[in-house]
Amino acid sequence: MDTQEHVELHDLYGNRGSEWHEPVSEEEICERLKRAHEEGRKVAIESGGTKRGYGGARGEYDWTLSLKKYKGIVEHNAGDMTITVKPGTTIAELQRFLQEYGQQVSLDPHWPEQATIGGVISANESGPKRLAYGSARDLVIGLRIVYPDGRIIRTGGKVVKNVAGYDMNKLFIGAMGTLGVISEITMKLRPAPKYESLALVSVPEGEEEKLRLLAVEIQDAMIEPVTLEILTPALAEKLTGTRAFTLLVGYEDVECSVKEQEGWMIHHKPENAVLEILHEEEARKFWERFAVTVPNTHTKEKDLCAVLKAGTKNMDVFTMMTTALDLGISHLVDIEAHGGLGHGISEYVVRGQQDNIIAVIEGLRAAAEQKGGYIVIKQLPFHLRKKVDVWGRNPGHFSLMEGIKKAVDPYGVCNLQRYIGGI
Amino acid sequence: MKRKKQNKVDPHIRSLTKIVGESEILYKPEDLISYDCDGFTVHKALPKAVVFPKNTEEVAALVQYCHMNHLPFLARGAGTGLSGGAIPLNEEIIISLVKMKQLLCVDYENRQAVVQPGYVNLKLTNSISDKGYYYAPDPSSQYVCTIGGNVAENAGGAHCLKYGVTTNHILGLEVVLPHGEVIEIGGEGAPDSPGYDLMGLLTGSEGTLGIVTKITVRILKSPQGKKTVLAYFDDVEEGSRAVSDIIAAGIVPAALEMMDKTAIEGVEAGTFPVGHPPDIEAFLLIEVDGIMAGLEEQIEQILEVCESWNVREVKVAKSEEERSRWWANRKTGFGAMGAISPDYLVQDGVIPRSRLPEVLKEIEKISRESGLRIANIFHAGDGNLHPLILFDSRVPGETEKALQAGTACLKACADVGGSITGEHGVGIEKKEEMRFIFTEEEIEAQLDIRDVFNPYDLLNQGKLFPKPSRCMDVKKIVKDTVAVQS
Repeated sequence: MDTQEHVELHDLYGNRGSEWHEPVSEEEICERLKRAHEEGRKVAIESGGTKRGYGGARGEYDWTLSLKKYKGIVEHNAGDMTITVKPGTTIAELQRFLQEYGQQVSLDPHWPEQATIGGVISANESGPKRLAYGSARDLVIGLRIVYPDGRIIRTGGKVVKNVAGYDMNKLFIGAMGTLGVISEITMKLRPAPKYESLALVSVPEGEEEKLRLLAVEIQDAMIEPVTLEILTPALAEKLTGTRAFTLLVGYEDVECSVKEQEGWMIHHKPENAVLEILHEEEARKFWERFAVTVPNTHTKEKDLCAVLKAGTKNMDVFTMMTTALDLGISHLVDIEAHGGLGHGISEYVVRGQQDNIIAVIEGLRAAAEQKGGYIVIKQLPFHLRKKVDVWGRNPGHFSLMEGIKKAVDPYGVCNLQRYIGGI
Repeated sequence: MKRKKQNKVDPHIRSLTKIVGESEILYKPEDLISYDCDGFTVHKALPKAVVFPKNTEEVAALVQYCHMNHLPFLARGAGTGLSGGAIPLNEEIIISLVKMKQLLCVDYENRQAVVQPGYVNLKLTNSISDKGYYYAPDPSSQYVCTIGGNVAENAGGAHCLKYGVTTNHILGLEVVLPHGEVIEIGGEGAPDSPGYDLMGLLTGSEGTLGIVTKITVRILKSPQGKKTVLAYFDDVEEGSRAVSDIIAAGIVPAALEMMDKTAIEGVEAGTFPVGHPPDIEAFLLIEVDGIMAGLEEQIEQILEVCESWNVREVKVAKSEEERSRWWANRKTGFGAMGAISPDYLVQDGVIPRSRLPEVLKEIEKISRESGLRIANIFHAGDGNLHPLILFDSRVPGETEKALQAGTACLKACADVGGSITGEHGVGIEKKEEMRFIFTEEEIEAQLDIRDVFNPYDLLNQGKLFPKPSRCMDVKKIVKDTVAVQS
């Protein structure tokens, strides 16, 4: 990306440092933060830059600390199935490295070619397969953190099971870089699946309830899908060419087990539903396309666009999705959405006029909160983030979060005001 | 008459009695004896009182009272912890949660259940198994340990190799903070709640950050099929090489357990013998589960790997009854040591799986040098070792030797890049050993977090973290029989 482009993006999305620094060693990160701590500088931290529009009540910081050049594999123990990497490594680089060993990091976030492991961990990004493999908090076993004053603090360790001391890893996962810079990440690995397939089940408009019932039936049966992701008709059309509610049921196991589960699906296909099953390379290609459908801050968009993440109870994803489409119609915005019926996370891309987008966000937030869930805004231009709260209302125990921020970053060096309640 | 008697009672006891009622408090020394330790019996001390609240409001009132009056306090479940986390070092008020033992709700469609902290781990699985569901974390003490205690210790179990430990199965917590405020984390079970992951931080904090009063857990559908293999090896190293190769073959077993010769001698003399050959050096207990159609292929691969490492005999469980017997033999392994030794001490190190052979040699050396037998029972799949140090506390100096041997085993684990505890926690037992794996600065960073929750350090004081200077009290030798339960 040339300098001109990143200046423009920063103008649009904020979270911009007046000076740009690209450390290539941990020592440089330590030095930079130590200086910031001493001089009272405010530092914006990023690596792939795909999440510049995610949170943040400040347009400007003193410095941007970009970790995009601090990348690479530090240590891979194939026999122990663990890997230690630097934060600027992209997800795709990591998976390509592991492919040779028949292993993988079981995380499938968006934009694997651009998103870095540091960013994915810091924003707690996940994908449809978290249904089977969990999210970052289930995979990260150790971190090296450069604290905001330049100290290096290790959390966790390099073994897959460990309860020594507090599970400090958890604090930094999803902390949006507000507690320091992650300089190394150790994760547990899984074997790459021996065989995979993907069943796409779509139903005609007005019959989407059948997919909800199918998802309930699948979960109650003794089959083990790795995804139960539902797509709204507009998103399905982009990916499959058919404008219809579509359920993506993925399987990963030895071949005979996958085939057996496909057999179950063929047998239980709802009436009037269309079932298509993609195997191996076809399934992988589908997921590759899926991973780049939701825009990030590098994506050129014609219209104003917001990306939302909702967390609810698993099956409430379905209701959230239909609520979103209703809101889209009443507020004249286009909505594409997908969500995991087995894991409770759903995502919405909203395109339209500014006021309408805000109305949809507020409507959807009310619906989520009514169900004990939440909405966070994953991407929105900076000027609009001042009009609508990115993180929703503070939880009752917000003072503990404030206390943690103060304990770790008393001078507000790292990503100040990027996270919930302005911490 | 009654009033006169009450006047002799400590005024704090009177106030605490007002909160929970007369039948729900113990304070006479003879009643307190069973609360002087947990599953770590090397160190004992009496609490000031034990109270049995019935609901969150009572817990909050008790905590507020302790906070206002600067009384140290701690929470306790079934008392099965193996590192001394529930031992009252400072005459604590023990808040026992065993009377808060309800299963509050099960939501099959969203795969979650809500329990009170005193609810027994295995009861949850038993309550939902008729619908084909279960709760995954399965510590060996699951028939008696409570889910609240599991959260405090981030308990593991034999099947966490595939399914993860307690922290991977918690969706929401209601917590009473050390000053008595009640908070809800994780709401009604929506994942990734905005804000720092306090649920992850609290799980495994060994009761030093708050008292959990309600827990939302994930429940799982039982696998369609299970296959269990028992493989006997004439050489421990060959057995441990087989472990690595099974994992390297891309198999994710549900469990992969190992026992050495001394451990086998113990379990065969214990309550659930299964007739393991007496002259065998080690066995592996391997379980795979999932879609039935795929299991056969995995079993064949496992058998091939075992053959390649010169397995003497390998058998697949022919019935659920046989499988259960093998598991009972394994799960009661710690307690069975009582059949071959007057006392034993269990350790809980973790190592990178591939370093198993060298660490086992090191443990053998420690055994030789200390003159104490060490039995090894471990979750080989995730490198979690449980060396059981056999000793006789009646022999002067032997308890001390056993404690030293335990520390040496943990050092051996730390030296190969491992950890000092995989599932039993630090408690008071391993707090000095924290320095094997963390620097002073790193320990300080953790204490900074504790101070956010527990600034006056009244809740479970003296646990988890080493004192600034080494405290010999912790390793004080007590002549009581060490009967650590599994």
